[in-house]
Amino acid sequence: MSGADFLNLVIAALLLAGVYAAMAVGMTVIYGVMKIVNLAHAGFLMLGAYFVYELYERGGVDPLLGVVLAFPVFFLLGVGLHRTLIRRLPVSDQPTLASLLLLFGLWLVLQNLGYLIWGNADRAILTPRTLSVLRLGPITIPTVRLVVFAGAAAALAALELVLHRTWFGRAVRALMQNRDAGRLVGVDVEGTARVAFGVGIAFAGAAGGMLAMLYSFSPDFGSPFLLRAFVIIVLGGLESFAGVAAGALVLALLETFSIQVLPASYQPAIAFSLLVVALAVLPGGLAGLWAGLRAKRRRWA
Amino acid sequence: MPPPLLRVERLTKTFAGLAALQDVSFELERGGIYGLIGPNGAGKTTLLAILAGALRPTAGRVVFEERDLTGMPAFAAVRHGIVRTHQVPRPFRTLSVLDNVEVGIRFGRGKAAAEEAGPAAGSAAMRILERVGLTHHARAVAGTLSVGDQKRLELARAIAARPSLLLCDEVCSGLTAPETESVLRLLREIRQAGTTILYVEHDLKAIMAVCDRVIVMDHGQKLAEGTPAEVQRDPAVVEAYIGGEVGKGDPAGTAGAAGAGGAAGTGEA
Amino acid sequence: MGRLEGEEAPLGMTAAPAAAATAEDGGGGRSRSSRAAAAAARISPWLLGAALAALPLIGPGPNLIRLLFVTLVWVTASVAWNLLGGFGGQVSFGFAVFYGLGAYAAAVALNAGLDPVSSCLLAAGVATVASLAIGLPTFRLKGPYFAIATIGVSEAVRVVMTNVSATGGASGYRVMERGAFHQLQHFYSALGLAAGAVAISVLVRRSRLGLALVAVREDEDAAADLGVNPLRAKLLAHAIAAALTGAAGGLHARYAAYVNPQGEFAFAISVAILLMPIIGGVGTIWGPVIGACIYGLVHDEIIAAFPQLHLLIYGSLLIVIVLFEPAGIVGLLRRLVRAGDRRGRQGGRGGQEGQDGRGRAHAAAAP
Repeated sequence: MSGADFLNLVIAALLLAGVYAAMAVGMTVIYGVMKIVNLAHAGFLMLGAYFVYELYERGGVDPLLGVVLAFPVFFLLGVGLHRTLIRRLPVSDQPTLASLLLLFGLWLVLQNLGYLIWGNADRAILTPRTLSVLRLGPITIPTVRLVVFAGAAAALAALELVLHRTWFGRAVRALMQNRDAGRLVGVDVEGTARVAFGVGIAFAGAAGGMLAMLYSFSPDFGSPFLLRAFVIIVLGGLESFAGVAAGALVLALLETFSIQVLPASYQPAIAFSLLVVALAVLPGGLAGLWAGLRAKRRRWA
Repeated sequence: MPPPLLRVERLTKTFAGLAALQDVSFELERGGIYGLIGPNGAGKTTLLAILAGALRPTAGRVVFEERDLTGMPAFAAVRHGIVRTHQVPRPFRTLSVLDNVEVGIRFGRGKAAAEEAGPAAGSAAMRILERVGLTHHARAVAGTLSVGDQKRLELARAIAARPSLLLCDEVCSGLTAPETESVLRLLREIRQAGTTILYVEHDLKAIMAVCDRVIVMDHGQKLAEGTPAEVQRDPAVVEAYIGGEVGKGDPAGTAGAAGAGGAAGTGEA
Repeated sequence: MGRLEGEEAPLGMTAAPAAAATAEDGGGGRSRSSRAAAAAARISPWLLGAALAALPLIGPGPNLIRLLFVTLVWVTASVAWNLLGGFGGQVSFGFAVFYGLGAYAAAVALNAGLDPVSSCLLAAGVATVASLAIGLPTFRLKGPYFAIATIGVSEAVRVVMTNVSATGGASGYRVMERGAFHQLQHFYSALGLAAGAVAISVLVRRSRLGLALVAVREDEDAAADLGVNPLRAKLLAHAIAAALTGAAGGLHARYAAYVNPQGEFAFAISVAILLMPIIGGVGTIWGPVIGACIYGLVHDEIIAAFPQLHLLIYGSLLIVIVLFEPAGIVGLLRRLVRAGDRRGRQGGRGGQEGQDGRGRAHAAAAP
C-alpha cells in the first residue's frame, strides 16, 4: 500500500469517526444520566434519515440544514416521549430490564411506522455535493464526507460547551457521577433527565440525517448502526464523552482498514466481534483502562 | 495453643489511588466475639468485604483455619465458613422470608445440608427464624419487611449458612434499645454454639457490652487492639473519635458521646 | 404451587404490596373463586396435553397440524429461554443462535444418514457446547450489557453462516431424508419435546439450581455472599436452555426440510423467543407456554389481517406489558383472581393494601 493510499484511509477513518461519535454520543448522554440503554436509538437514527430526506425531496432544503433543523425537532420529540413513557419506568442506579424492554418495544413500533410511511425501498439523498471530490495533492476526500464531518464536529463541540458551561451540563455531569448526591445538592433529577433524554434523541435524529447523506437507507436502517453505537460507547467506557471519541476512532479505523482485507459480507461481524471482545476484556472500556493507567502512574510518582 | 481461626497479614486495598486499607494485621481466636470499630471512612466495611471474598485485596494475606483464602471469591469463602451480613440489608426481595433463609441453608457450608430438600429444609429454616424472632413473617415477601426486620433476616440468612466465622456489619444500627438487646443476646447464643463473630458497629455501648476484644481502625489502618476497657482508655483511640485532648473526661462518658455521634453516621467505604 | 411462595415481580418492578396480600392470604380465607381457579390451574395442563395428544384422532386438516407443530416448537424455545431469562434474570436477545445451530446440526446429520432421534440429540449437543462458549465470556456482564453481547454473538454467527459455502451459504441447505413424510410423526415429536421442556422447567424450578437462579436474579452479589456460585448456575441454566432450543430448531429443520441463515439465525427469531415468555408471564412455569401459544396461533392471523403492522403490535404490547403488567398474562390472571378473592371475602370493603386498581406498587420498597 502506498503512502498516499494509507493517508487516504486514515483520513477516511477520521471523517467516519466524527460521524460515528455524533451517532453514539446520544446514547451516552441518556445512559449516563438515566442509566437507560436506549435500544430505540436505531429507530431515531432512521427517523432522522427520513426527516432530512423528506425536507430535501419536498422542500428542497439542503440536507445539512435539514440536519441542523433535526436537532430541535427531535429534541422536542424526545422530551415528549419522556413525559409520556420514559418517566414511568422504575428509577435505578443500574440499568433495568424494564427500560431495556420498553425501549426495544419502542424501536419495533418506530420501525413499523417507518415501513408504513415509506415502504421498504432503499432511499438515498443525492445532491450535487454527493459526487464531488476534494483533491489536496495525493489526498482525495469526498466532499460530502468532509461536510458531514464538519457538522458532526460542530455538534460535538457544542455539546462539550453545554456540558461544561451551562447549569444543565453541570447537572448532567453531577447525575452521571452520583444520582443521589445530585438530588441532595438540589439538582432537579426528573427535569434534567427529561432534557437529557431530549438531547440524546436530538443527537440520534441529527446523526441519522448525517448518515443519510453518506449511505442509502430503509426503515431498518438503524440496526447496523445501533450495534456500532453500542461498540463505541462500550469501548469508550459507557459514560465518558472522551471515551466515545476514542471508541469511534478505533471502530472507524478498524472498519476502514479491514475492508482492504476482508470481503464486504464479513463487515458486520467486525463490529459484533469487537463488541464482545470489548465487553469481555475491557469492562471499563477505554476510559476505564485510561483511568487505571493514570492511577498506576500516580502511585509510582 | 491452638492456631488462630483467622490471621490477617498486612492487608492493603487501594481504589484508584485511594488507600482504603493499609497494612492491617490481626488475629482472631476461635470462639470469641471481636468488635471492629472506627470512625466513618476507617475501612471497616472494606475489611469485611475482603474477608468475605467480595473484594480482592491489593496486597496482604487472609489465612483462615491455616488455609490461604486470599482473593477467593465470595461463594468459596462461604464454603470454607466465612459468611457476612450487609450493612444495608440486601434481601431477595420477591422471595418469601422462608425462601431467603433457605438459600443460606442450601448453599452454606457443609455437604450434608446441600442435600436437605423439601420439608426437612423448611423446618430448619423455621428454626432459624425462631432464633431471630421472624416466624410470624415466614411467608411474607421479603421486600415488604420493615428495615429492622430486614436486618434480622440478614442475620438469619447468614446464620443459616452455618458459618464458623460470622462477619456482622452494623446489625444494630437504627434499632431501638430493646431490639439491640435481643440482637446482642442472639450474638452471644451464636458464639455459644461455636461460631466466632467479627462485629462491626457504630454503637459503642453495644460493642463494649458484648465483645471480648476490640480492634480499632482509623483511616485504613489498625489503631489499637485489646479488651473493651483497654481500648477505651487508649489515647490514640480517644483522639481518633473525639479529636480531643488525652485523658479528658471518663472512658464511659467518652464512649457514650462517641456512640451517639457514631450511631448517627452512615456507613463508610 | 411449588415451594417458592413469593410472587414473581419481574423486570425490576416491585409488585410488593400486591404480593404481600397474597402472602397473608395464606391457606385460609380463600374465596370460592380463587380455590376454583387454583384447581383449574392444576388440572388444565393435563387436560390440554391429553387433548393435544388425542387431537389427530378427530381428523383435523394438515394445516392445523402444521400450525400446532410450529406452536409446539415455539413452546419449547419459549420455556427454554425462560429458564435463563425468567428464573435466572439473564435476558438474552440472542437465542436464535441456538435455534439456528440446532437446525443446521440436525440438517447436516440427517443428510449424513443419521436417524431423526440422534440428529435431534446432536442438535441439542451442539447448542449446549455453543452455550458454554458463549456463556463463559458473556456472563461476566450484567443486565443490558449481557443482552447486547448476546445480540452481537448471534448476529456474528449469522454473518459467518451466510458466508460458509459448505452449508450453502446464504442460499441455504436442503435436508434430503429418505422415506415418506409423516406429518403426525413430526407433530408428536414436537408435542413430546414441548412436554419434556415443561417438565424440565418444573424440575429446575423446584431444584437447588432453581433456588440459585432466583437468588442470582434478585441480587447476584448477595447470593454469592451466601454460597451460591452465580457463574455455575447461569452456565447450567444456559446449557439446558440451549439444548432445548437447539432440539426445537432441529425438529423444525427436519419438518421444513430446509435451513438458511436468514431464516434460522434471524434477529426476529431471538425477538420472538423472548417476547413469548414476557407476554405470557416471565419467570413462571406456564407463562412461556401461554405466550408461545398466543404468539404461535395468532402470529399467522396477525400477519394475514394486518400484514404491515405486526412489529407495531408486538412493540406496543411490549411497552404496555412493561408499564402496566410486567408479570404478563399470568400476572393479569393472578390479579383477577385476587380481586375476586377480595370481593368475596370482604363484601365490598376496600383492602388494606393501599394499591390502586392496577395494583401498581405505591412507594415500592426501595433500598
